[in-house]
Amino acid sequence: MDALLIIRQFLSEQYGIAPETITPETPLDKLGIDSLMFFELVFEFEGKLGVRSPKNEEIADLKTIGELIALIDNLRLEKT
Amino acid sequence: MAQCRVAVTGLGLINPFSGDLENFFSRLLNSESAIRLLTLDDPAGSLSLPALQCQDFNPVHLLGKPLSHTMDRFSQLGAAAAFSAWRDAGFSLDNNAERVDYGLSWGTGVGGVTTFEHGYKNLYRSNQRSASPLTVVLAMNNAAAAHIAIKLGLAGSCLTYSVACASSTAAIGEAFHSIRSGRASLMVVGGSEAPLAYGVLRAWEAMRVLAPGDADTAHAACRPFSKDRAGLVLGEGAGAMVIEEWDHAVTRGAHIYAELAGYGTSCDHTHLVRPNTEGEIKAIQQALAVGNLGADGIDYVNAHATATPEGDVAEITALKAVFGDHAATLPVSSTKSMHGHLLGATGVIEAIITVMALHKGAIPPTAHLDTVDPACEGVHHIIGKPLMDKPLRAALSNSFAFGGVNAVLAFRSA
Repeated sequence: MDALLIIRQFLSEQYGIAPETITPETPLDKLGIDSLMFFELVFEFEGKLGVRSPKNEEIADLKTIGELIALIDNLRLEKT
Repeated sequence: MAQCRVAVTGLGLINPFSGDLENFFSRLLNSESAIRLLTLDDPAGSLSLPALQCQDFNPVHLLGKPLSHTMDRFSQLGAAAAFSAWRDAGFSLDNNAERVDYGLSWGTGVGGVTTFEHGYKNLYRSNQRSASPLTVVLAMNNAAAAHIAIKLGLAGSCLTYSVACASSTAAIGEAFHSIRSGRASLMVVGGSEAPLAYGVLRAWEAMRVLAPGDADTAHAACRPFSKDRAGLVLGEGAGAMVIEEWDHAVTRGAHIYAELAGYGTSCDHTHLVRPNTEGEIKAIQQALAVGNLGADGIDYVNAHATATPEGDVAEITALKAVFGDHAATLPVSSTKSMHGHLLGATGVIEAIITVMALHKGAIPPTAHLDTVDPACEGVHHIIGKPLMDKPLRAALSNSFAFGGVNAVLAFRSA
């Protein structure tokens, strides 16, 4: 399943954020994503894609949706 | 320093019948019970018992998706009740200036236990490697209070009291003292509880204090003071009040329902669950003294009475000791017969009922009370229909909790 789709679905269903406002270029803080929401998103990926939980240093500097997607895609590759 | 008077200016609760507070109170006057049979099917087992559920409560509709998602049910119920009380007090949810003299005092017995139960199932049953990142902030006992304070801009004291069945009564009482002493101008007070989780119900079942019932009899399962009473009925719910310093209320043109006149609290210090009449007497007497009320000035007592064999008797014994010759004509009812025992939220629900009784001059009956247990005789039990024969001057609302904590509120008509 496409990582962007998972993000859009999660943020829309749980927080009412309009899917079309979520693009790879969108800064995380522009969507109002605080640390807890961000950890929830990561938890969602663990559940849906079976990827490992990323380390703190891997997520510390993520600024945009695209950077998060890139991290998740790397974690998926690790699995293969 | 002179003590300030405290006005009750806003009321809000989650009506298990659906509808508003007026609807809730009129149903109680009509002896209507909201208790139904609850059936839970868990892989560990099935459970059927009488319970009070707020089945029509829709948190997403009332609070919006983002907010309700970050709340356990006990916070959802609590926030909805608090916002309702806030609006009832004449405030808007939209324009809240930070007020350091406005605070919050909340009560809950088991807090976000549903969140913990859900998390445990995932960890231990489904072998999930990690828990949801929201687990702590959903489950922590002060979560409801935090959400309410954030939304309403309450910058003063924001404390959550966890004293089992007396939680919200204690929350109200301690806030009362805050205002009386001048530490706060206004406090949002109340409590919320969402304890209808499988593990919690099994734990209560093990104490053999829950009333049995089936689909036909569940509504009448809670029979306080009755000769054939069979135990208590648990429930979920929430209530809130806005209380404020009297002049502060008058200056802003607030509608005043009643005066919160007194509060008494004591600890039995004798047994974890067995009630102690002496402790209850002390709390009642303290509430009367603080409110400068005599035994002959009380026109109604909303009893704690949960329909347990010992508890109901201990309370009537305490009332007879305090009220002496006046006991025989003292109107008493236990509205748990209709709304069940909401644990930490019970105190505020019953406080609201007591305020409404004063406000409307109408005392709801104890429902399903066909034959009074002789050990519970000696007060004027309100049975069958409400008592509406004269204006009420003052009333008490009792809460006597596991752990031996007793908390009593005294209200005076405005």
